[in-house]
Amino acid sequence: MHGLFRWSSKWWPGLIPLVVFWAFAAWTSTAPLEADLAARSNAALKDTVLDKKRIAVAGRDVSFAAEAFSEDGRQNAVGSVEAVPGVRLVNDETRLVPEAKPFVWSAERDVVKVTLGGSAPLPASKGRLLEAARAGLGGIEVADQMNLSRGAPPRFDSAALLLLDQIGKLKDGKITLSDTKVSLAGMARDLGGREAIAAALRNLPEGYSVAANDIKAPPYVFQAYKDPVAVTVTLTGYVPDNNAHAALVAAAGRKFFSEKVVDNLKASVGAPAGFANAVVPALGALSRLSTGTLVVSDREVKLSGDALYEAAAGQIRAGLGKDFPQGWQFKAEISVKPQAAPVDATVCQQLFADLLAKARIRFESGRGDISQDSLGLLDRLIETALRCPTANIEIAGHTDADGDQSFNQALSEKRAQAVAEYLVRAGLPADRFTAAGYGSTQPLTSNDTDEGKAQNRRIDFVVK
Amino acid sequence: MTMANLATFFWGWLLASFLLGLAMGWVAVVHRGPGVSKLVARCLAVLIAGLVAAALARVAPGRAGYWLDLGLIMFGLYLVGCAIGSWLRDRVLSRGTPAR
Repeated sequence: MHGLFRWSSKWWPGLIPLVVFWAFAAWTSTAPLEADLAARSNAALKDTVLDKKRIAVAGRDVSFAAEAFSEDGRQNAVGSVEAVPGVRLVNDETRLVPEAKPFVWSAERDVVKVTLGGSAPLPASKGRLLEAARAGLGGIEVADQMNLSRGAPPRFDSAALLLLDQIGKLKDGKITLSDTKVSLAGMARDLGGREAIAAALRNLPEGYSVAANDIKAPPYVFQAYKDPVAVTVTLTGYVPDNNAHAALVAAAGRKFFSEKVVDNLKASVGAPAGFANAVVPALGALSRLSTGTLVVSDREVKLSGDALYEAAAGQIRAGLGKDFPQGWQFKAEISVKPQAAPVDATVCQQLFADLLAKARIRFESGRGDISQDSLGLLDRLIETALRCPTANIEIAGHTDADGDQSFNQALSEKRAQAVAEYLVRAGLPADRFTAAGYGSTQPLTSNDTDEGKAQNRRIDFVVK
Repeated sequence: MTMANLATFFWGWLLASFLLGLAMGWVAVVHRGPGVSKLVARCLAVLIAGLVAAALARVAPGRAGYWLDLGLIMFGLYLVGCAIGSWLRDRVLSRGTPAR
């Protein structure tokens, strides 16, 4: 062993090639070693959820920058990199993802483009939202402007996915989720879209609520046009459903006794509340006009046209809005048709007979109240009576043979009286009319059939 | 510590250092040239001790740190090679000339 010290003083010349070896070793091994460490560090972090991960290796030192979604996750990530074999030091440049307060997420639609913005809680939920947007909006461009942030409310994903579903029902607009409050604005794509969205929002996860819903829908339009030349009533636009459709067409058939009803209606959801209760009386008002147009747009009813005489115009202007359900508006532009040339009494009688051959004045069953469906016919009768101002007219009530004779007599008198009073209210002089009841004593036809009975229940205008 | 895992990248150079040391040790026993003076040897020892301390303390950053570690390991293996080489040569010489 003593020799070792003596010999070692002669070992130094080998240091020169050793230094050369060292230089070559450093030259050739550094880059592959760094690449290997980077690859293994990345592999160690494969299952850790991080944002903006960046790994740089110099020699055996790893610079590790990332944003973690919790303090635990951050420490675990640093620990995993430190545990990679061969790593000497970890320069920890990690931090936590910033916390968003309030946590705002939004989806905005601009007809052909959907932009997702605001914050998402995790890369996975961000990816899920994007995927859902692309899948649900088939073919529409989806732009991602989402950041990652901490502080999302619980059940954020299901709430956001539900809202994303609603974006498909908008033509344009924006849905914003701020913490647990949802705000919506924009225009629905289809009639009824607003209702569909409102219904879907009821399924929001527990704890979420709608702060503002300003979704608008295209107007729900119903139109009726009474054409005196073609003698038609054309119905166009929308009705809520098939039942309402049938009921509306039937009501139009009763009210427009001489016109043919042309039915171009389509059923669609999205009708404003009280649709039928507003449209049926509005059709009644239209039936009293000689020519006119009825436009129902959402809850606004516009009626324009020519009334047959002055009092009718006044009754329509004042009367229609009163029957409407809450929240409905009525706008009338009613003018009065110029009065037709006077005719003599025989022509008048003929005109009355023609009108009453087309339809009969209807009453509530067993009572003396004039049915609303007959106001159009009464207006025609009044218009005719105005053309023969000198003729005295008997209003004759008749019933069928059913029931008690004295009851029928009283009913026929009451009904004739009701018609006479209606004429007087319309501005005709009371002394021109006499109301008479004949019970079932003057049947037009046999009382054996329902049809015959219906013909026998009638009011006749007889020029004296 | 975990440098051993990385030896796959430079084991050839470690082996070369060891063989170089072996050869140098073999030659040193019969070498007649000048040796290193005691003072220089001490200075060298202090320098090496300093470098080892620096490596253990991980003072040198990044690549420099790696190169320092690599150099010290190569140097260590060189010394081991020298010692084994000299000892073997000495054994061979003393067996060849038992009379001396």
